[in-house]
Amino acid sequence: MESVEYIIEMLGITKEFPGIIANDNITVQLKKGEIHALLGENGAGKSTLMSVLFGMYQPEQGEIHKNGKLVKINNPADANRLGIGMVHQHFKLVHNFTVLENIILGVETTKGGFLQLDGARERVVKLSEQYGLKVEPDALISDITVGMQQRVEILKMLYRDNEILIFDEPTAVLTPQEIKELMKIMKNLAAEGKSLLFITHKLEEIKEVADRCTVLRKGKYIGTIDVDATSKEEMSEMMVGRKVNLAVDKKEKEPGEIILQVEHLSVKNRVNSKNAVHEVSFKVRSGEIVCIAGIDGNGQSELVYGLTGLIPIAEGTVSLKGKDISTLSVREHSMAGLGHIPEDRHKFGLVLDYNLAYNLVLQSYFKPQFCQGGFLKYEAIYQYADKLIAAFDIRSGQGAKTLARSMSGGNQQKAIVAREIDRNPELLIAVQPTRGLDVGAIEYIHKKLVEERDAGKGILLVSLELDEVMNLSDRILVIYEGEIVADLNPKTATIQELGLYMAGAKREEGR
Amino acid sequence: MKTRLKDLMPRAGISSLLSSLMAIAVGLLVGFIILLVSNPAQAVDGFKAILVGGFVDKKNLGQVLYFATPIILTGLSVGFANKTGLFNIGASGQFIAGAYAAVFVGVKFVFLPPSIHWVVALLAALLAGAIWGLLPGLLKAYYNVNEVISCIMMNYIGMYMVNFLVVRTIFDSLKNQSKRIAVSAIIPKLGMEKFFKTGASSSSANAGILIAIIAGIIIYIILEKTKFGFELKACGYNRDASRYAGINERKSIISSMMIAGALAGLGGALLYLAGSGKGIEVVDVLAIEGFNGIAVALLGLNNPLGIILAGLFVAHLNVGGFNMQLYNFVPQVIEIIIAVIIYFSAFALLLKGLISILWKKSDEENANAELVKEDKADKGGLQS
Amino acid sequence: MSTFYFLVQQTMYFSIPLLIVALGAMFSERSGVVNIALEGIMVIGAFSSILVISYFQAILPGQSILLIGIIIAAVSGLVLSLAHAYASINMKADQIISGTAINMFAPAFAIYVARMIRTVQQIPFVNQFRIEKVPVLGDIPVLGPMFFRNTYITTYLGFIVLIVAWIVLYKTRFGLRLRSCGEHPQAADSVGINVKKMRYIGVMISGALAGVGGLVFVVPTSTNFNATVAGYGFLALAVLIFGQWKPSRILFAAFFFGLMKTIASAYSGIPLLVDLKIPSEIFKMTPYLATIVVLAFSSRNSQAPKAVGIPYDKGGR
Repeated sequence: MESVEYIIEMLGITKEFPGIIANDNITVQLKKGEIHALLGENGAGKSTLMSVLFGMYQPEQGEIHKNGKLVKINNPADANRLGIGMVHQHFKLVHNFTVLENIILGVETTKGGFLQLDGARERVVKLSEQYGLKVEPDALISDITVGMQQRVEILKMLYRDNEILIFDEPTAVLTPQEIKELMKIMKNLAAEGKSLLFITHKLEEIKEVADRCTVLRKGKYIGTIDVDATSKEEMSEMMVGRKVNLAVDKKEKEPGEIILQVEHLSVKNRVNSKNAVHEVSFKVRSGEIVCIAGIDGNGQSELVYGLTGLIPIAEGTVSLKGKDISTLSVREHSMAGLGHIPEDRHKFGLVLDYNLAYNLVLQSYFKPQFCQGGFLKYEAIYQYADKLIAAFDIRSGQGAKTLARSMSGGNQQKAIVAREIDRNPELLIAVQPTRGLDVGAIEYIHKKLVEERDAGKGILLVSLELDEVMNLSDRILVIYEGEIVADLNPKTATIQELGLYMAGAKREEGR
Repeated sequence: MKTRLKDLMPRAGISSLLSSLMAIAVGLLVGFIILLVSNPAQAVDGFKAILVGGFVDKKNLGQVLYFATPIILTGLSVGFANKTGLFNIGASGQFIAGAYAAVFVGVKFVFLPPSIHWVVALLAALLAGAIWGLLPGLLKAYYNVNEVISCIMMNYIGMYMVNFLVVRTIFDSLKNQSKRIAVSAIIPKLGMEKFFKTGASSSSANAGILIAIIAGIIIYIILEKTKFGFELKACGYNRDASRYAGINERKSIISSMMIAGALAGLGGALLYLAGSGKGIEVVDVLAIEGFNGIAVALLGLNNPLGIILAGLFVAHLNVGGFNMQLYNFVPQVIEIIIAVIIYFSAFALLLKGLISILWKKSDEENANAELVKEDKADKGGLQS
Repeated sequence: MSTFYFLVQQTMYFSIPLLIVALGAMFSERSGVVNIALEGIMVIGAFSSILVISYFQAILPGQSILLIGIIIAAVSGLVLSLAHAYASINMKADQIISGTAINMFAPAFAIYVARMIRTVQQIPFVNQFRIEKVPVLGDIPVLGPMFFRNTYITTYLGFIVLIVAWIVLYKTRFGLRLRSCGEHPQAADSVGINVKKMRYIGVMISGALAGVGGLVFVVPTSTNFNATVAGYGFLALAVLIFGQWKPSRILFAAFFFGLMKTIASAYSGIPLLVDLKIPSEIFKMTPYLATIVVLAFSSRNSQAPKAVGIPYDKGGR
C-alpha cells in the first residue's frame, strides 16, 4: 500500500481537444505537506491538467486518487468537497463584490436564506492574521491591488478548509518583492500541513520553494525529479527538450539620432478620466531598445494608446524624427513610420475571422500596391502574403488562406511581427510581444527585435517579464502609477532595485 | 454523390446550409402541428397549401416574386448590417420611412417626366431609409448606445411619424390609407403582367424583383471586392483591431447603418410602387417586412445570394398562407412558422457543430485522411 | 388639483407594469441573459389571462378573478420564457435572435388562437377591477387621492415586487449567487455554483414578471386586448438600462417613462397639453424619443453586468 503516502494522485490522465491532445497519459503524485512544482512551457498542458483535477474538464482516460482511493471529480463543487482549492492564473473574483462576498461565495452561511456576514467576517479576519494574508474584508475587488486580489484567492481556499492548494502561475502578476512574500506564504502553508501544487515555468521559483517537480512537454509526461538534486539547466532541458540559451545575443551599439521624443505627455483613463499617464518625458534613439518596465496596470497601456493615437492625448507632445505627431490619427501615425505590436494579439492585433493574407495587409490594404479605384487587388495581396509567410516562417494549415483563428499563438504573433516589421517603421513599439509563447517563438521574436535595433531602428518595448526586460533592453524606464520613476541601465541595475521602483517604494531624484 | 457535393462546396458552407434546412423543417413541422391541433380535418389540405405555396399557377408564381421583393431588401439590410457586426432590428422603421418617401413622391411629384418619376421615388426612399438608419448609427458610434434598443425605438417613432405624415399630406380618408400613386410612379412591369397571370387575373410581379437582385449583387461586390467592404467587415469582426489598423470605426458604423437603412427603405418603395393598389395604412402596427427580413437574413446566412433565395422561400410560404385561408385557417400561422424558423436558426452554431461531428465520424469510417485534416481546420474556426 | 391627481393616477397605470417587467428583466440580465423577448412574453401573459378573465368574469367577483388572472399570466409568461432560456443557456444561441423570434411568435400566436376560437382577434373584458377608494387610506389628504383612489391591486403588487426584488437581490444567498453568474460566471462555477441553473431561474423570474406585467398594463388602460402591448417590453428594457440594473433606480426610471407614456396616452385629459394643439402622433412618439435621448446620456458609463449576453462556456476564462 505504498500509494497511501500520496494525498492526490493523477494517474495516466489523457485529455483531448478537437485536433490536439492536451494531456497524453500524464501522472502526477502529490505527497502530503509538500510543495510540488509542475513545470512546462506555455502550451505544455499544465493548466489543462489542473483543470482536470479541479473538475472543469473530464479526462478521456486516467484516474484520480485521493489518499489512495479512487475519486470522481465532475465539477468544481466536487473538487471543493474533496478539499481541493485553486488560485487560477486569471483570478476568479467578481469585480463589484467585496472581498468578503468573494470569499464566502458558494459556501455562504445563511439563516432562512438570508446572508449572515458577521460570523464570516470574523473568520476571515482570523485566517488572514494566522497566515499573514493582509486584506480589507469590505473593500471592492475593483479597488484593491493585484497582490491583494491574490491573497483573497488564497483566503478563499483557506476559508473552505482546503488541504490541497493549486497555484496556477501565481507570480506572473507580482513584483519581485511580492513574489518573495508569496514564497514565504507558500512555505508557511506547507508547514501547516497543506499540500501545494505549483504551476510555473520559472526555474528560480521552483528552486526556491518546491520539494519535487514534475515536468511536462507538449502534453507529454517527461519525468518527476527531486528539486534539490537537479540543476536548473537540467530542468530547463527537460522542459524544452534541448539546451536553451535565453541570454540574447546582442552586440554593443552606440545609439544614434533621436527617433521618438515624448515631452510632458499625459493620457487620461477612459473610465474615470483621471490621468493614467502623467507628465511623462523620454526619448528613444535609433539603434536602442528602450524598455518600459512596471507592474501591469500602471499606465503602460494608456501610454501606448497615447503614442499610437488610439486615444487622444490630454497634454504634451510626441514627435517622431522631429515631426510632431501628437494630434494625428492612428492611420497617420502608422504612415509616419510607427510600427505597433499590440499587447493583446486577439483583441487588437488580428481580425481572427479574416484569413492570414488579409491580416498581413491589415495595415496596408489601402495602399496602391493592394488597392486600385476602391477595389482590392487579390493577386497582389496573396503574392505579398506568400512572400511574408516564407520570409518569417509563418506556419499554418492552408497557407495564406488559413483563418487566423485556427493558427497557433506563436504563428499568430509571428504574423503580426512580420506585418509590422515589413512596413519598415522608424520606431517599433512592441507590447508584451512574447506573452504566452513557447521558448522557440520567444527566441525568434527576441532575435527579430534585436535585428531591427541593429538596423538602426528605435524599439520601445513594454514588458512585464523581468527576465525579458533585463536581457533585451539597452535602457529601462520604470513606470509606476502613470509616471516614469527611474531610468536605469540594465548592466548595472539589479532585479531587486528594479522591483523597488516598480512597487513605488523608491523613486529617482528629480523624477 | 455525397463526396462530390463535399468537393464542390467548402464544408462550412454545407453545414450552414444544412442547419438552415433543419430550421425550416422544424418550423414547418410546428406549423403542421398547430394546424392539426386547431382543425384536424382540414390540416393536411391546409398544410399542403403552405407547401405548394406559389406553385399553383402562373399568377401565384408572380405573387411570390411580388412578395419576395421587399423582404429580399429588408433581408439584405439585416444581413449587410450583420456582416458588419450590427444587428439591424430597425429595418421595420426604415422600411416604412422609405415607403412614405416613395409614396409621397409618387403622389405629389406628378410634374416629373414619367420616365424618371418612379426612379426619383426610389431615390427618395433610399434617402429616407438611410436617414432612419443614420440615427442609431450615430448613437452607436458617438454615444455607445446599443443599436438594438435604439433601432426598436426608431421603429415605433417611424411608425407614428409616417402615420402622422400620411394623414397630413397624402391621406385618402375613405380608405384610411395613403392616396393612390400616379401611374408614372409605378415600377415598370417589363411584360411580367402578361406572363405571370392566370386567366384574366394578373399578378403584381414587376421589375422590382430585378432591382432587388441587382441590389444583392451590388452588396456582394461591396462586401467581398472593395476596400470599403474590407474595412466594414474588419470593423464588424473586431472593432478594436480595426481601430488599431487605423480604420475609422465610427465612419464604418455610421455608413453601414445608412446603407442598411437605404436597403430597407428601398424595400418599402418597391412594395408600395408595385402598382398593386396597396397604400400605406394608418394603423399602429409595425411593418412586418422588417422582421421577416431578419428571418430571411438568418436563413440566407447573411450571404446576398442566400438572402435572395431565402426571400423567395419566405414569400412562397406567405402565398401559401394566403391560399390556406380557403380551408378556414388564419394566415398568422405563417408568422408562427417564420418565428420558429428564426428561433431554430439561432441554434445554427450548435447544429453546425453537430453536423461536423457526424461528418468526422463518417470520415473516420471512410478513413479519408485528407478530409479529416480539413475538418480540424473547420473545428478550429468554430472555437473562440 | 384634480388634474394633478388624475396625472398621478394615470402615471401609476403606466409606470407599474414597466416597474414589474423591468425588475423581472433585472433578474434575467443580472444572471447573465439578455431578455429581449419581454415584449412577446407580455403579450402572451396578457393574452392568456384576459382570455380566462373574459370567460369567467360573469361568474367570479372582480378582485378574485383578477388574482387568478395574475397567476395565469405569471405561469404562461414563465412557460414561454423557458423557450428563451433553453436557446440562450443550453443551445448557446444568439440571445437577441431568440428573443426576436419569440417577439414575432407571441402576437401571431395570440391572434391565431383568438381568431380560431372566437373569429375576431380582439378579446373584450369588463373592467370590474378598479377600486374607487381604499377604505380609510383613501381619505388621507393629498396622499389619499394620489395613491388610494381609482387604483388597482396591481399597483400595490408592483411595490411589493420592488421590495421583494431588492431584498432577494442584495440580502439573500440566492441574490449573491445570481449576481455572480452575471458578472463572472467562471468565478461562480469555480466555487461550485450551478451557472446554468441560476440563469434558468433568472430568465424564469423575468418571464413570470413579464407575463404579469402584460396583464397589469392592459387592465387599467383598455377594455379589450388586441395582441399588442405597444412596445412596452422594449420600454422596460430601456428602463432597466436607465435604471443601471439596480432596483431603486429602476423605480425612478419606471416612473419617468410612465410619465412619458401618460403624456402620450392621456394628454387629452390634461388641459395644459390639449391647449398646445400638438398632433396626437407626436405625443405617442414621446416615450420612444425619450428613450433614445436618455440612452444617449446613460450608455457611456453603462454598468451592465459584465457577462450579460455571453453564453457561458466552461472552458472560457
